[in-house]
Amino acid sequence: MSGHSNWPEWIYIAVVIALMCWVGAEAWNAERLVEHVPADAEVIKVIAQQWFWTFEYEDGTKTIGDLYVESGKAYKFEITSKDVIHSFNIHDYVVLMDAVPGRVNTVWFAPTDVRTHDIQCREYCGLIHYNMRGTLHVEEPSS
Amino acid sequence: MKKFVGLFLVLVVLVIIPAVDSVFAAGDEPGEYLDRRVIIWNLFFRMMTVAFVVGAVVSGTMIWQCWRFRESHPNAKPTPYEGTDW
Repeated sequence: MSGHSNWPEWIYIAVVIALMCWVGAEAWNAERLVEHVPADAEVIKVIAQQWFWTFEYEDGTKTIGDLYVESGKAYKFEITSKDVIHSFNIHDYVVLMDAVPGRVNTVWFAPTDVRTHDIQCREYCGLIHYNMRGTLHVEEPSS
Repeated sequence: MKKFVGLFLVLVVLVIIPAVDSVFAAGDEPGEYLDRRVIIWNLFFRMMTVAFVVGAVVSGTMIWQCWRFRESHPNAKPTPYEGTDW
């Protein structure tokens, strides 16, 4: 067709592809940073079951419902479930990971605010799902 | 061909080397931890900015097209089909 130019279409396609590449790269980079567990992170096993959380620390002690950590340290959670699928969520620290029977999922965080935070189940897991809560106690560093 | 080699070299210097560098450097300093809240919320706000800008540009273009190519626009040119009784 005379007088018709395809250039605007090619520019449009190039802009869309460039935007998609940029968005993908940003998301990939954020995921990479968030998933990079520090080498000195302390491992805490998180066991979910209807309808409470059990936390097992590196020294073998266990607590139910209450999770105790120290400010300024890194913690790696190894999350699993004994019955159905749950989801471990510390809303204030944007920690969210599914607890799946027969599988160990990991997520890490480093608490900074010395106070208590809510822990909740974020995957509907039965009758008392709404009350499957816990408390994160962030304490002053011991050393 | 030389152009592509040149372009690839520029990409390597500007993108790939810094990316690889940051991959191996991330979070290896003991005691200095990334704040996942900052990373995740920053990503969210950047993506929202992109989404709203793209939405504004796309809807703005569509609004402009409707305005510019309406029949009653002073510069409108009748198509060959205008007045055809299908």
